[in-house]
Amino acid sequence: MATTVTFSQEIGNLLHAAGGTPVSACMQCGTCSGTCPVGDFMDVRPQRLIRMIDAGFKDKVMATRAFWYCASCYQCTVRCPRGIDIAELMYGLKRYTIWKNQYPEDLIGPAFSETFVKNIVRTGRSYEPVLATSYFFTLGLKEMLSEAQNATMLMLKGRLPVLPARIKRLENFKRMIKRIIPIGD
Amino acid sequence: MTKKTFAYFPGCSLEKMAESYHLSTVEIARVMGMELKELEDWNCCGATAYFHVDELLAHTLCARNLAMAEKEGLDLVAPCSGCYKNMHACNAHLKKDHDLADHINFALEEDNLRYDGKIKVHHLIEVFSEDLKEVKAKATNPLTGLKVAPYYGCQILRPRKFEHENVEEPRYFEDLMTAIGATPVDFLLRLRCCGAALIITNRQAALSMVRNLLQNALDSGADVIATACPLCQVNLECYQDQVNAEFGTKYSVPVFYFTQLMGLSMGIPAKRLGIGTEFLSPPAAMLAACRKAAAV
Amino acid sequence: MSEQKQLLIIDDDPDFAEGIKSILVKAKYKVDMAHNPKDGWAALEKNKYDLLLLDVMMGRGAEGIMIARKLGKDAKFRELPVLIITSIREQMAFLFPGGAVHPNFVDVDELIEKPVEPKLLLDKVSALIKSSEAKKKK
Repeated sequence: MATTVTFSQEIGNLLHAAGGTPVSACMQCGTCSGTCPVGDFMDVRPQRLIRMIDAGFKDKVMATRAFWYCASCYQCTVRCPRGIDIAELMYGLKRYTIWKNQYPEDLIGPAFSETFVKNIVRTGRSYEPVLATSYFFTLGLKEMLSEAQNATMLMLKGRLPVLPARIKRLENFKRMIKRIIPIGD
Repeated sequence: MTKKTFAYFPGCSLEKMAESYHLSTVEIARVMGMELKELEDWNCCGATAYFHVDELLAHTLCARNLAMAEKEGLDLVAPCSGCYKNMHACNAHLKKDHDLADHINFALEEDNLRYDGKIKVHHLIEVFSEDLKEVKAKATNPLTGLKVAPYYGCQILRPRKFEHENVEEPRYFEDLMTAIGATPVDFLLRLRCCGAALIITNRQAALSMVRNLLQNALDSGADVIATACPLCQVNLECYQDQVNAEFGTKYSVPVFYFTQLMGLSMGIPAKRLGIGTEFLSPPAAMLAACRKAAAV
Repeated sequence: MSEQKQLLIIDDDPDFAEGIKSILVKAKYKVDMAHNPKDGWAALEKNKYDLLLLDVMMGRGAEGIMIARKLGKDAKFRELPVLIITSIREQMAFLFPGGAVHPNFVDVDELIEKPVEPKLLLDKVSALIKSSEAKKKK
């Protein structure tokens, strides 16, 4: 039996708490694509992505990387004449692909997010040098050198932490997280 | 007039990478007669990464900070636009969604905390902009002749915090710069995102976004870009070499925190404002103000 | 023959929900589906169910757990047996490698991990309904 839930509804379910207008309200005016500062780098611009979701092109949507290029600047969200929270939709799509483990392998975004989250779960604070390990070796030689140069400069200027910071009540903090992501001991 | 007191949430970037933002904030708050009580044992706001993975977890992290501020009976102020946006949004969600608040309070119990939605979250620039008269009065070393590109960036303004918020034509950054004697230039891309969230994950896109902003700042005749976010500062300043290598350009545009500029205008010595840890030296008009501040 | 038992599935993955629904329908259960926590709660308020099959990761995160806690706090629903069906270990493996999923703090009756073996599912469903009826008779 074929499922009765459309892909557009599935995405709507994902965003059930966000309270924005569903993507079906889109009138294809293109304000989002025109206003997006990263639009030129997306394989599919937001306006088209929304249409693809609405049309139920699930596989095609899952194969795009457009939402991993979203900088979360909310320019589209505040300008959408239909009140669709497009930036939140992009977050939703990122979550959806991470949960399903379905994203193009060469993307740095998912791995970076994972490292970031892992790091905070362990210490309660972010620590830049650990984050670097998630992407450093994905860079080409030229980028790697310039990134290392930047790090050296930051170090010289006293702007890189030597030791990771951690919060004091870390044990409580970890138990708190376990109540939100339920795992056994 | 009673002294204004806030719970201060510096955020991870201000610990080291953007320490100058922290130092200058503390200095000008003192001059302005404002008390910033650093939140005891604050934790990371979750940045954008958490929302990619689990929004409930992201809200929980923010809620812990909100609960600690509420315990102190103080509104929260954050200097980083990313932290500000996350905690402001979390606060709004918790006030509206009782099931969510109940569930998150259940998690907070583990740290003997509870949040009842009693406080407000402000961005640092907001609390200074509200008192322009006082800023002007304290600016005894005005930054005359300094042309500043006031860079709002994205998350101070967006998403909208209330229904008719003016997110397209804000003026408070310009007004603040005028109050300290500087000249705000007409910076067309002042609201456009710098791409900081992408600098690692989608480098090409981010570098191109930085280039557009730098070019526009130069075109508008600015000597310096002023920011109100550590991510914008690092992205716009520290990646200029990489932008130049990528596009064959020769940008060298200094980028400072608005608090550093305010501090100079108040005659605070440059060193105490963290000036000297930047990659690109201050422009002439700022150096003149630095010398005057040192002489005071 | 006893009356037909009525079950509710709350799961955001429509294909998976359809799959377990067809297994349960074949075994003569009457099955409703909801695909987000909000609709799921509305269905619980509206109809009387003999058992709830509940997914964990939905919407913003582990919202299934939110529902399970809310049920436990509500006298009206406290008797309703809850079978949690989850693949959280797979989804969040990078965060918690190896740790088996168990929300110790909610009173969940049973928990099975995806993918679900049809026979195991049917066994657990019927056992849970039986024990809940036995409790009610007492």
